[in-house]
Amino acid sequence: MRVLGIETSCDETAAAIVDEARTILAERVLSQEALHIPYGGIVPEVAARAHLDHLDGLIARTLDDAQVNLADLDAIAVTGGPGLIGGVFVGVMTAKALALAAGKPFLAINHLEGHALTVRLTDGIDFPYLLLLASGGHCQLLVVEGVGRYRRLGTTIDDAAGEAFDKAAKLLGLGYPGGPAIERCAQAGDPQRFPLPRPMLGRPGCDFSFSGLKTAVRQTAQGLGSLTDRDRADLAASFQQAVADVVADRAGHALDQFGRQGPLVVAGGVAANATLRARLKALAESRGVAFLAPPLRLCTDNAAMIAWAGLERLRLGWTDGLDFAPRPRWPLDPAAPKAVGAGVKA
Amino acid sequence: MRILALDAATSACSVALVEDGRVLAHRLKVMERGQAEALMPMLADALDETGLAVADFDRIAATVGPGAFTGIRIGLAAARGLCLASGKPFFGLTTTRAVAGGVFADERPGMTLVTVVEAKRAELFGQLFSPDLEPLGEIFAAAPQDFVAHLPNTPLMLVGDGSIRLKDVLRGPNVSWSRAPGHPDAVQVALGVAERADQGHAPLPPRPLYLRAPDVTLPK
Repeated sequence: MRVLGIETSCDETAAAIVDEARTILAERVLSQEALHIPYGGIVPEVAARAHLDHLDGLIARTLDDAQVNLADLDAIAVTGGPGLIGGVFVGVMTAKALALAAGKPFLAINHLEGHALTVRLTDGIDFPYLLLLASGGHCQLLVVEGVGRYRRLGTTIDDAAGEAFDKAAKLLGLGYPGGPAIERCAQAGDPQRFPLPRPMLGRPGCDFSFSGLKTAVRQTAQGLGSLTDRDRADLAASFQQAVADVVADRAGHALDQFGRQGPLVVAGGVAANATLRARLKALAESRGVAFLAPPLRLCTDNAAMIAWAGLERLRLGWTDGLDFAPRPRWPLDPAAPKAVGAGVKA
Repeated sequence: MRILALDAATSACSVALVEDGRVLAHRLKVMERGQAEALMPMLADALDETGLAVADFDRIAATVGPGAFTGIRIGLAAARGLCLASGKPFFGLTTTRAVAGGVFADERPGMTLVTVVEAKRAELFGQLFSPDLEPLGEIFAAAPQDFVAHLPNTPLMLVGDGSIRLKDVLRGPNVSWSRAPGHPDAVQVALGVAERADQGHAPLPPRPLYLRAPDVTLPK
């Protein structure tokens, strides 16, 4: 069983082919980062235009890499949301056309489900497991009970974790994307120098909040006046430490509920942060559960995870119609109660 | 010569399967949004009616714009996917040419055809055509009150989903309004690309004709 996956929901144009033996036969990612850097963030219309310009050629090269034809595939899977909807349209229409012309099943995949199931592609683990999904658009703790079965324990009530990194990086003049920029700058910094707040720390439950932390970074930076390199490094390190403290605290609460039923898994672009990974690994070890994190290239947006989620759903016979409507919002656990004090993102 | 044609660029969604100028199957729905859901089921339905597969066609055609940015991409992403899967070449047509093709034969003699495409902005897109559908100049963007300056002093036949916005600024004995529907139709896309190819024009590539930069400003 072989599935083509397509991902266009943010600023990476990606295609990949995976098989049932958990082999990634080919994968290609075309980053649009250089297009968006001048604007200091992702511009949806710029992203959508670039996806259309490059997607079909990228898919053709991915098929060549894997030395397979469309006829050799069992299904076409594509991110159907959530994400920047202009880009999602491009991927979905391309996938529908390929599916129709090649006579293959079409699968519209929740991008978050792609992240959530990646560890089954990389490590072949069984359900259930506890997942921290932290990216530019999300920060959630979920119990993954099965394909399509997610129980949300907590979510952010304001900014996503990756969003907090981007905003802090912007405030420090470190540029976009903020995650790698903060991490690089923080390497030489003193995480103890600035006593930044730890929002939600010690509070019951598993929800997150990052907007107060961003405000504290701004106020601290303004209080210093002109920033030296040392100031920037110390502030970046202090910020990163505060995020890690909060995330470890919230994940600890989630483990209190989840117990030792399965491993702690981290996914999403923020999982690329080494400080955060180290903290979560230590937490898992202290609780006697395994810690798993997919390789970095499969934590950030990619199409192998979409192909894999498609394969998992195809095995269960769950395909989608060509009338599928792209979904800008698409919660993994629609039954989860709205987080108290949450904004529109929760 | 079989042509598979699509349009989702403006206020409609349509599919046409055409062989040597004869329509084998046709689907059209007028809609402001929802083309991403509607387009491929309409194509699947039309193919079923004829018993043909995508691979049985010689050319894949679609409108390239101008129109709604998302709508243009819906049609072009689908067309590019069909080309990739079938290995068949792409033939593009402007929405203005597709709309002009819809003007009825008895409305054309002696007229300058004025196509007006709605852009959901202050400005409209326009292009002039001769009665036999030769473009008279490039596509332009103009607000309704400025549109008049682009028009010649000849009898005019207006057509297109944006033409309604000119009702207040264009009057007089020289001005007529076509009975044709204002949106592009995939039948006209198929016929239009065939005519242009027969006239020796190189096919338009599957690149969007946005005619407007993204709404974004560089940070100071």
